[in-house]
Order: sequence, then C-alpha cells, then structure tokens
Amino acid sequence: MSRTILSHVIALGALTGAFAAESPKAGPSEAQAVGAFEARVKEYVALHEKLEATLPKFAEKGTPEQVDKNQRALGALIKSARSDAKPGDFFSPGMQALVKRVMGEVLSGPDGKTIKSSIMDENPGVPKLAINERYPSSVPLSTMPPEVLAPLPKLEGELEYRFIGRRLILLDTEADIILDFTGEVVPR
Amino acid sequence: MRKPHSLLAILSVVFLLIAVGNCAGVQTTGGPATVEAPPAGSTAIVPLPNKSGSLKFAVLGDFGTASKRQYELAAEMAKFYTGFKFDFVILVGDNLYGAERPQDFKAKFEDPYKPLLDAGVKFYAALGNHDARAQRYYKPFNMGGELYYSFKAPNEKVRFLVLDSTYPVPEQIAWLEKALKDSSDDWKIVYFHHPIYSSGERHGSDLKLRETLEPLFIKYNVSVVFTGHDHFYERIKPQNGIVHFVVGSGGMLAVGDILKTDLTAKGFDTDQAFMAVEISGDKMYFNAISRPGEIVDSGIIERRILPKP
Repeated sequence: MSRTILSHVIALGALTGAFAAESPKAGPSEAQAVGAFEARVKEYVALHEKLEATLPKFAEKGTPEQVDKNQRALGALIKSARSDAKPGDFFSPGMQALVKRVMGEVLSGPDGKTIKSSIMDENPGVPKLAINERYPSSVPLSTMPPEVLAPLPKLEGELEYRFIGRRLILLDTEADIILDFTGEVVPR
Repeated sequence: MRKPHSLLAILSVVFLLIAVGNCAGVQTTGGPATVEAPPAGSTAIVPLPNKSGSLKFAVLGDFGTASKRQYELAAEMAKFYTGFKFDFVILVGDNLYGAERPQDFKAKFEDPYKPLLDAGVKFYAALGNHDARAQRYYKPFNMGGELYYSFKAPNEKVRFLVLDSTYPVPEQIAWLEKALKDSSDDWKIVYFHHPIYSSGERHGSDLKLRETLEPLFIKYNVSVVFTGHDHFYERIKPQNGIVHFVVGSGGMLAVGDILKTDLTAKGFDTDQAFMAVEISGDKMYFNAISRPGEIVDSGIIERRILPKP
C-alpha cells in the first residue's frame, strides 16, 4: 500500500513537473529553463566523473587523511576545470523563477509553516557564498523536506540541493563544493 | 495567474484524497511493541541479563564535540563495556561537529572511543545535519560508501536499517520499503538523525518526516526506532505500536529542553547519556546510562509479533 502512496508521490511529482512545463503561467520559458538546467547538470556530472576517474576511488580509502586528500584533489580539479564558472550557470534567471514559484507554493500550503521551520532549523545562513568554494564546515546541512525535493528537477550523480539561509545551493557532495546558488527563495 | 494555481490545487487535493484513502487502509501487520519499565519516580532498575549468545549493542548520538564531557561519557562507555561486551555501537548522527579535518576525526571520534575501537567494537553510523557526506567513506563508520544502508546483526534475528533523514529523496523511501518488505527478521530496528517523535523544545518531532516514514514502519513491523538531533535522552511512549528513543545526548546537551508533553515515558536532560541494549528472543532489554554512570532509564520491550496464520 505504501508503494501505492509512493507511486502517488511520484505521480504528483510528475504531474507537478508536467504542470510546470505545460502551465500557461510557467509557459515554455520555465520548461526551457528546466531543460537547460538538466542539460547543464548532465554535462557537469560527465565532467565530475571524468575528473574523478583520474583519482583513486573513495570507496577504496577509509582514513580521514585519504578521504580528505581525495576530496580536496577532486575539488581542485573541478575548480580548475570550471575556472570561468559564475553565478547563474545552473540557476539561470528562469530556474530561479521556478524555484521561487515552487517555494512560494509549497510554503503557502497547509504545511507551509512546518516545512519552513524544517528548512530553517539550524540554518542561519552565511553572509557570503562563492562558486567553487568548499561548503562552510561551520554550517550544518539543511533538511530537505520531500515536498520541496519533489517538484525540483531530479539531480544526477553526487549532486544535492540544500539551503544555506534562505538561498538554495547546488552542492557536489563528493567534492564538497558549491556549484551555484540562488537569491533568497525562502520568504521572510 | 490564478488558473495554474487552481489546477495544481485540484491535483494536490486529488492526490491527498487518494493518499488518505490508502493510509486509512494501512494495517498494523504485527501487534504493538510493549514496554515494561519501573514506574515514574521509582529508583528500581531493570538489569541487562547479559546472556551469552544474545545481541548486545550501544546507542550514541550527537557526540562529536571533542569536549571534556564527550570524553567522560566515552570513558563511561568503555567502563561499561568491561562488564557488558556489546558487539557494536549504532550512531544516530551528528558524529562530528564543526570542522572535519583528519585531526578532527581523531579528536572527536578516534581518541575518545579508542578503548572500544581497540577492543574490536564496530560502529555503524547514520549521518546528521552536522555531518559532511564524505563520512560515508570513513571506514570506522562502516557505511560502505552509502548514505542509507542496512545490516544484519551477527546473532538473533535482527535487521538494522539506517536512513539519511536530511535528504529523504523518493529513491531512499522506495529502498526502505523494499528493504523492510524483504526482511524476514524478527526485529526490524530503524535509526536516523531527525526524531519523528520528540518533546524537544529546540527541535521536537519532525512531522513531515513522520508522514513519510511512519506508515512504512507500521506496515512492515518495525518495533523500535532510535534517533538523535535533540540533545537529551528521551523514551517515547509507544506510538502506533512502535517504541521511539531520542539519544542525542552523547556529547551535546540541552539542559531543560524536554518539554512536558504526553509523549514522554522517560526523559533525561541534565547530563550526557548513552544506551546499552540487549536482544534475546522476543525481548529487548535497555539501560540508559549517564556520564557519571547512573542508570537513568531501563526496561524491557517485547517486539511486535505477527499474528499466527
């Protein structure tokens, strides 16, 4: 029965996705933004895998020194390969508009207050975010409620969405670097 | 502007109606887990039987601070181990606070638990919101490079399912359902960081996570759930037949954070604490032990039993 529920969740996600793509409000520009985002993610994952293949595998490691060394090496390779990266490469204006709309809808729903407090739990934010920088070690990872994850484009590889303060970031969890971030998308 | 909102609202309502309809049909496959414990205010203690051949483990959460108190609780664990040889320790997350440089793994994990590590005690970690994702590759945490995973206990028919509650993507929930469904073990024990029942003032129950996970726990006969995140020890009264513990008291401590609620069977928020647990047949014996070595809670849980066909 839970599988049925899950299938409904997935169906709702698909419906929401389809809706996002077909909605007159969202229009073709939002669908286009999602398409471009997904293509950019795919391209990035290919780059990540190519660079990662030049390093010893994480799973063969185990000591903190080895894990840390590998992670920093991968981060440096990615940083160098993306030296021209800039804000908006992933979160284009169209994607930011989509994220803002999704957050507005999720947070104005009946569970909005609970979802917002879950996102903002131990999430004070940082004054400055930078592309290609390591995730700040003093900042806990925000919780990502399923209701927020479902309507966002599905990610591949080791990528995750997280919130830092009121901004959504795209994080490469294996290299521990921030690939992109939005403006404030969680309303005050 | 309004039309798309209306369409989405209709779709959401349709979905909710279908989901609610299905939830209404969710049946408890086994009977409820039951707890025997000394009454409130009593100083009686239910001892761990320490039987040969039983499964023995410890539970620890929110510990990686490198503080004097973390080390003192770790020393108490090592002391307790001399009389109660637990096979492994389950970690309910927030394994390292702040920086995670190699020297931090040493100061916040390897040094305090050295006597246990040297004795061959294994640790199986779940990740909390303070934990970098790379911890899954750290050998002593036995995560096999996975953010969520399961393992079978070396003795008794016990399966542990370890979740990543900070990022509950649909793939993880589907994995959990399959793992629960495929398990024919008598005891199904799930642990993760964010409590779905807690009387914490700071965090409290994660209601959205509860909506997602609890129907599966009920359906697939989970008897016990361990979590952390709130910095105290709390045993929750059985909820829908399942016993929940919050054990976020391994290093961090939120003194006086347990609110008076109907959830609490026993709460302890005045010192650090860990749990020692023993499973023998259908019974789980538990002790919660404070930093000075006092047993602050104890009891016996009888697992959920499937009705005979």
